[in-house]
Amino acid sequence: MQGLLKLSRLIDAINDRIGNWVSWLILVMVLVSTGNAIIRKTLNMSSNAWLELQWYLFSAVFLLAAGYTLLKNAHVRIDVVSGRFSARGQTWIDIFGTVFFLMPMSIAFLYLSWKVFVRTYTQHEISGSAGGLVMWPARLLVPVGFFLLTAQGFSELIKRVAFLTGHGPDPVPRGDTRAAEAELAEEIRKHAEGKA
Amino acid sequence: MEFLTANIAPIMFAGLVVFLLLGYPVAFALAANGIFFGLVGIELGLLQPSLFQALPERLWGVMSNETLLAVPFFTFMGLILERSGMAEDLLDTIGQLFGPLRGGLAFAVIFVGALLAATTGVVAASVISMGLISLPIMLRYGYDRRLASGVIAASGTLAQIIPPSLVLIIMADQLGKSVGDMYAGAFIPGITLASLYVLYIVGVTIFKPAWVPALPPEARKLGEPNGSSGTPSFVVIFVLAVIAGALFDRFYYVPKYVDVPLDERLVIAAGAGAAFALAAAMVNRAFKLGLLSRLAEQVVFVLIPPLALIFLVLGTIFLGWATPTEGGAMGATGALVMALSRGRLSLKLTRQAMESTARLSTFVVFILIGARVFSLTFYGVNGHVWVEHLLTSLPGGQLGFLIVVNLLVFVLAFFLDYFELAFIVVPLLGPVAEKLGIDPIWFGVLLALNMQTSFMHPPFGFALFYLRSVAPSRDFMDKVTGKRTAPVTTAQIYWGAIPFVIIQLIMVSLLIAFPQMSLVYKTDLPKGDPDKAFEIPVEAPAAGNAADDIMKDLGGKNDDAGAEPATGKSAEEQAAEDLQKQFGGK
Repeated sequence: MQGLLKLSRLIDAINDRIGNWVSWLILVMVLVSTGNAIIRKTLNMSSNAWLELQWYLFSAVFLLAAGYTLLKNAHVRIDVVSGRFSARGQTWIDIFGTVFFLMPMSIAFLYLSWKVFVRTYTQHEISGSAGGLVMWPARLLVPVGFFLLTAQGFSELIKRVAFLTGHGPDPVPRGDTRAAEAELAEEIRKHAEGKA
Repeated sequence: MEFLTANIAPIMFAGLVVFLLLGYPVAFALAANGIFFGLVGIELGLLQPSLFQALPERLWGVMSNETLLAVPFFTFMGLILERSGMAEDLLDTIGQLFGPLRGGLAFAVIFVGALLAATTGVVAASVISMGLISLPIMLRYGYDRRLASGVIAASGTLAQIIPPSLVLIIMADQLGKSVGDMYAGAFIPGITLASLYVLYIVGVTIFKPAWVPALPPEARKLGEPNGSSGTPSFVVIFVLAVIAGALFDRFYYVPKYVDVPLDERLVIAAGAGAAFALAAAMVNRAFKLGLLSRLAEQVVFVLIPPLALIFLVLGTIFLGWATPTEGGAMGATGALVMALSRGRLSLKLTRQAMESTARLSTFVVFILIGARVFSLTFYGVNGHVWVEHLLTSLPGGQLGFLIVVNLLVFVLAFFLDYFELAFIVVPLLGPVAEKLGIDPIWFGVLLALNMQTSFMHPPFGFALFYLRSVAPSRDFMDKVTGKRTAPVTTAQIYWGAIPFVIIQLIMVSLLIAFPQMSLVYKTDLPKGDPDKAFEIPVEAPAAGNAADDIMKDLGGKNDDAGAEPATGKSAEEQAAEDLQKQFGGK
């Protein structure tokens, strides 16, 4: 169990780091897209490569951050029913969901998209539009992203089994999950009081 | 086994409900449902064994869908904006402007809510700022607690329906329509809804004046030294700005004798008027001319940042300079620049905003991916035909369909948030609506209006939740008056929301009765104007029967593969008839 928990901590650390890195791509996307609009208007030129870069970047964000989002428990759930269960009950649901929902999907995408990537790479496919980007980097993002997601699923599974067998703490912070809003409110309150 | 084969679509749908209710993340439950029933379908010989080979291309479709870029752009913009202090300044100043009127603070909240809504589409930020800035003042001067919390929650949710809102973007994408059209279609309903709120408050000032007292003189911080309010001065500068805008329009466009579209002229004229007001206020301040009251000066200064952002996000779209997605990016850049210039942008805030944006857009896109896996199987077993039969057999034609669908969405919105509704339910309803001759833009705006209630109805509404988190829940000492003030109870927040939910439903009914409110987009769009840089592009439809949708968009008359020719035809005739009615038989 301890070895598995070590592995789980390693996966968590990797996905956390990757999530923090790819977040910067959000800022890059914003600037690229703003630049595209301004350059088209002022210089009257537009490049398909730069337009495609926008969605390449976004794909990188949501694919590479898939594991990170799972780590942060930020994928939305419908908790009308499960919200009434105990922490142990919810943990059982998570174990069931990870094994029967997440893993089949993630592994299916991993397997299928890898084949597509290999085809795209060996045939040097380029996007259909004139001056477009080479396609394989974007195609590669899919298997990499689903690999990270599968790994994170495995890590979540370890943490939950450890919790149920008494080898570890409850991996999900229960109760107040809307910390971001509380923090915002605190900041606005400080600002308002500073002014008054 | 035969029963299963014959009824696999309804069984799959029921299975979806069970999968979702388990409480595992929606994205994966959706995908698992698709994969599970896909395997069952293959086993039963209903589906080709190669079914899942289509998955990578479905995902590729999601990746290359540029409309989805709006999700991170607007989220990021909202997160930066909510920390920039813009909302607080607006509430402070506009509260001073309207405060002396009976019901003035409530009007200020609605006005600021609409203004923030036109800047970005974030409900949490508006509600939290209003709950912290306006609610204490309202409580201090004796506003009815239910009304105060209701108007704040409702005005915050305006962000959902007034463009640029994420709901409208996603709705346009799922219905295979252009975002620009969806914006144009939502504009009048959005403004009308805000006006209905105002009307309700006007009613309250007449029938229950004690609920909404005017601010007493000592609460007016921005008055003149000589005791006058400074309001006339604001009226003067406002009128002058309107005149300046009109004159600019006249001299800039008329000599050219070209038929520039109305929306473009409006944007330019409004920009000129605002620039004039800003220049006047700056000159007044710099040279201490004293021609403008403090109040007028302050109002002009706080209005400029949101107006500039609205120009960046919406103005550039209507001028044809930017696509709706790029508008979002420009808004985000604008918000960054504004927060930076106010000294509120730190590395920590930027990182937080980026990380939250990454998480939120990831879960949104994954719901869409899950929905695409689900629909691959669901359409494969002709689930869409089943849904269509179910809904087209409703009595009452168009009207019956709209009523049932709106009731359905209203109820579902208690449990699902709008992303889930938009990705799972809307793709099933859209084609049926179109078959019944219902204009997709009209339909999309209706659903968006309806989903807005999901933020407001007790006990799950997010807006109520945010308000609860910032409203005083215990007795507190008011800092200004020094009096003990009673808290706002949760029951008061719930009761306060109900009149506004009812107004919302009235608005939905009004829009059903008067589709013209949303159909202006058809006459509004400049057709084939060579001077335009480019037309707002029709976004690629995301629904499963994309080719079908494209044909319809182009006005083609393809026979729908899924439906019997008879229904298809009569629906088309119906559609033509309705269009003629709507346009006065032209």
